[in-house]
Amino acid sequence: MKNIKLPTFFLLLFFFGAFSAYGQKCDLAIRGKILHQENNDPIEGAYIWVVESATGAVSDANGNFIVKELCQGTYTLTIQYLGHKEIKDSISLTSNNFTKTYRLEEESLDLGGVEIHGHKLAVQTTTAVTALYGEALLEARGESLGESLKRISGVTTFSTGNSIAKPVIHGMHSNRIMILNNGIRLEGQQWGAEHAPEIDPFVADEITVIKGAETVRFGPEAMGGVILVNPAPLPTKKDPKTNFYFTGASNGRMGNVSISHANGSDKIKGLGYQVQASAKRAGNIQSPDYYQGNTGLSELNFSGSFGYSSQKLGIEGYYSYFNTTLGILRDSHTGNLDDLINIIENGRPFSDPGFTYDIINPKQVVSHHLAKVKSHYHLTDKWKLNFQYGFQANNRQEFDKRRGDLNAKPSLDLELFTNTLDLFLDHSLKNEWSGSFGINAIQQANSNIPGTGVTPLIPNYDMWNLGFYIIEKYSKGPLEIEGGLRFDTRSVQTARYVDSELQEADLSYTNFSAFIGGFYQISPKVTFNSNLGTAWRPPNVNELFSEGLHHGAAAVEIGDADLNSEKSLKWVNELEYDGGRTHLQVTAYANQISDYIYLNPTGDTYVSLRGTFNVYEYLQANAFFYGFDFSGSYVFTERLSAYAKGSIIRAKNTDADNYFPFIPSDRMDWGLSYQFGSLSNSKTNKVTLSNMLVARQKREPDFDLAPAPDGYALFNLAYQRQFEIGKNKLNLGLQVQNLLNTSYKEYMNRFRYFTDDMGRNFLLKLNYQL
Amino acid sequence: MKLVKNSILFAALLFSSVLFSCESEDPVIENDEEVITDVTLKFTELDGSGTPVGDSFEFLASDPQGVELGNPTIETVNLLKGKTYRMEVLLYNSIANEDITEEVEEESDEHQFFFLGSGFTSSILTIAYDDPSGENIGLQNILSVSASPGANATELRVVLRHDLNKGYPGTENPNFTNFAQAGGESDLDITFPVQIN
Repeated sequence: MKNIKLPTFFLLLFFFGAFSAYGQKCDLAIRGKILHQENNDPIEGAYIWVVESATGAVSDANGNFIVKELCQGTYTLTIQYLGHKEIKDSISLTSNNFTKTYRLEEESLDLGGVEIHGHKLAVQTTTAVTALYGEALLEARGESLGESLKRISGVTTFSTGNSIAKPVIHGMHSNRIMILNNGIRLEGQQWGAEHAPEIDPFVADEITVIKGAETVRFGPEAMGGVILVNPAPLPTKKDPKTNFYFTGASNGRMGNVSISHANGSDKIKGLGYQVQASAKRAGNIQSPDYYQGNTGLSELNFSGSFGYSSQKLGIEGYYSYFNTTLGILRDSHTGNLDDLINIIENGRPFSDPGFTYDIINPKQVVSHHLAKVKSHYHLTDKWKLNFQYGFQANNRQEFDKRRGDLNAKPSLDLELFTNTLDLFLDHSLKNEWSGSFGINAIQQANSNIPGTGVTPLIPNYDMWNLGFYIIEKYSKGPLEIEGGLRFDTRSVQTARYVDSELQEADLSYTNFSAFIGGFYQISPKVTFNSNLGTAWRPPNVNELFSEGLHHGAAAVEIGDADLNSEKSLKWVNELEYDGGRTHLQVTAYANQISDYIYLNPTGDTYVSLRGTFNVYEYLQANAFFYGFDFSGSYVFTERLSAYAKGSIIRAKNTDADNYFPFIPSDRMDWGLSYQFGSLSNSKTNKVTLSNMLVARQKREPDFDLAPAPDGYALFNLAYQRQFEIGKNKLNLGLQVQNLLNTSYKEYMNRFRYFTDDMGRNFLLKLNYQL
Repeated sequence: MKLVKNSILFAALLFSSVLFSCESEDPVIENDEEVITDVTLKFTELDGSGTPVGDSFEFLASDPQGVELGNPTIETVNLLKGKTYRMEVLLYNSIANEDITEEVEEESDEHQFFFLGSGFTSSILTIAYDDPSGENIGLQNILSVSASPGANATELRVVLRHDLNKGYPGTENPNFTNFAQAGGESDLDITFPVQIN
């Protein structure tokens, strides 16, 4: 429990920091915080001037400032920031713990080309947040969402082969985390272990991971964390920008292109648009000793948005389309338990078909449409009304190896429609208070499309979820405190035929959730935040009603209609140090979950004409997850720097005193970077050698088809360089992943039963910015 | 509090106008077209020259609920010592009323039966592929019963492999125990009890 003590220590620090400095006469200070009236973003670089003493300060990245060496008395403060209305405030300074928050209101000023529009809707939270953007995102281009997010410490993947990767935050995945595509919660068939998120990472300009329990803000299921995939803000004036991306990889002979274009109108101020498309094609993946049969993929994605924003009103329309065809390793599709045992004993696929781009059965064909409209209106300078509506249509077809004409029919064909509606009122009152009240509605209809020739695994269902929430934040000087409450009610109606008999179920769930969090800037270099939140997740339809064969696992899975909602309490603490050469971020958390739903082997087998199958059932137990993530970097010289990041997770079934399957093992990644070229120019030209160390998962469940694979070490090499070609920029990336072509198996990959992971991979990544 | 009132009004308006709901489709009974519910072993006695003698007789393994969740009933195969039989395997899906034998025959390049179990390891039984097309499928075979079997009760395991590599060395032997090495998956794996009289 070492890592639980850490936050307590910093909590103490925090109190000392706040109360230790009682000053004498002329060494008092004015502390304060400058925020955007508009969206609560801190303002960096605002100028604060104390008229009487003729001294001043500039706000830092967190919007904080301090003016020192003042005597007791009355002072006039002026606060200025480009494009914002000046604030004049008269204050009376008597003690040293004076702090005040100022909110700057945007002015519609046309400053000869320097125009500032503040309609950015960033997530304002006191929880641990890490984002992937800029150069780090550039290095991840061409990877799936799950793979990209592995670059963030504490985030791993739960994968099925190399093409299906689900992000895992602090040991939670699928329906226990949430992904937002441009603000809309992604609703696909997330329940399946082999169902990857239906999203193209190229739509994103920034991918943010919130590691706290955020059900109050985002609704049920956001227990482990939230992933926000956000496009760049729309341009509000004529400023054409085009980005071209190309990624080529030797392994799987993968090619991936993406193009995006954004521009604004020069006639109508505030009008802008953005379009983006990407295509991806890959063939059989190569492990060090063989090709993995039928592991190709093809993907075609498109997104577009347009928007208008003025002083009072903002409107945005967005559409994205995702379409993928994924080959599933042929040998992972087993007929019965004997087949499964045979291939596990073999340790690798029986077949080695060489390279091909062809995708045959078993395969998945998935398409996802998402359309949304979003609008906000400033009722007054302090109240803002927000509206967001999203429509999603998800179609998932899974094709198995069958006989004859049946091969052309999907064995699973699901169509899911989701409507989401958000309506919330933001306010930022004088001066310290801000927050929002909101209503959130989700409506879902899931249907099995007839004609599969297979009894459906899950019933057809309709779902309604209605939530009401309130979040309030208090910001004063270096301190921010935030709290929220939410009430949700959900109803689910299901219908299906079992042995030609119609079976219907009508279920309902209600829940209150709440959180409280704080952020404190201990010193200009050190910040600390802590967040305690409850979260819940109603059981998913597959957990309630599954009844059938899961081919990959040669298992019969049986649901339980009487399952309760999972409820969790997660406490996350994050300490960040940002000193000149050193940057360090440590996140520690504990998550207590009651009625955690898991798939448990019953120990029974079903005997059929096809052979024998293991039987699994959905059970509930209390669970406790805890762990920590760290990431840090150190600059040795102007040319040489190093980084390290890692995560440790412990998860236990506290009722049965045993371990859950598929919890990430301890891992770290560290590396050295060397910057070439002229030091005076800021263009990237660096090489990075990194080493990934993954331990064996020693905390295995009582039953697994195969023991956890050994730990492994991989080496990766990357070179990143930026060229300027006239006004344009070219980013060149060369990478070698698994440099030594090491054979390894990752515990979190379900295909570890059947095959080694991917071998060496050379990648070329180009980005041309016009 | 005119502001709040207006907001609520606005909210109610948006709620009623924008949110249109889709409903899920009514469920449909899906016939399991994939499954094999009935596996029949049809025996016809052959004389020394390979000519059929007398009436054929059948033994059935069936699972009317389908492959996945059923509890199959498997009949005991009764054979006479010292005799040679033509053994045909007939496959049927009683849920979708479909003859699967034909489908397997059509996809002869993807399917193959293997015959295993104590009947063969103890040399009580011997078997050879005898498919009319000349391919090794195992829908038709020649099965011989030893004239002096050490025991009168034994077993016959019938395995149907799908999507295997039929060129894999060893697959020409109907008793190939390492059939898994040839890849593919099992569509059937049934062990019939055998009584030798």
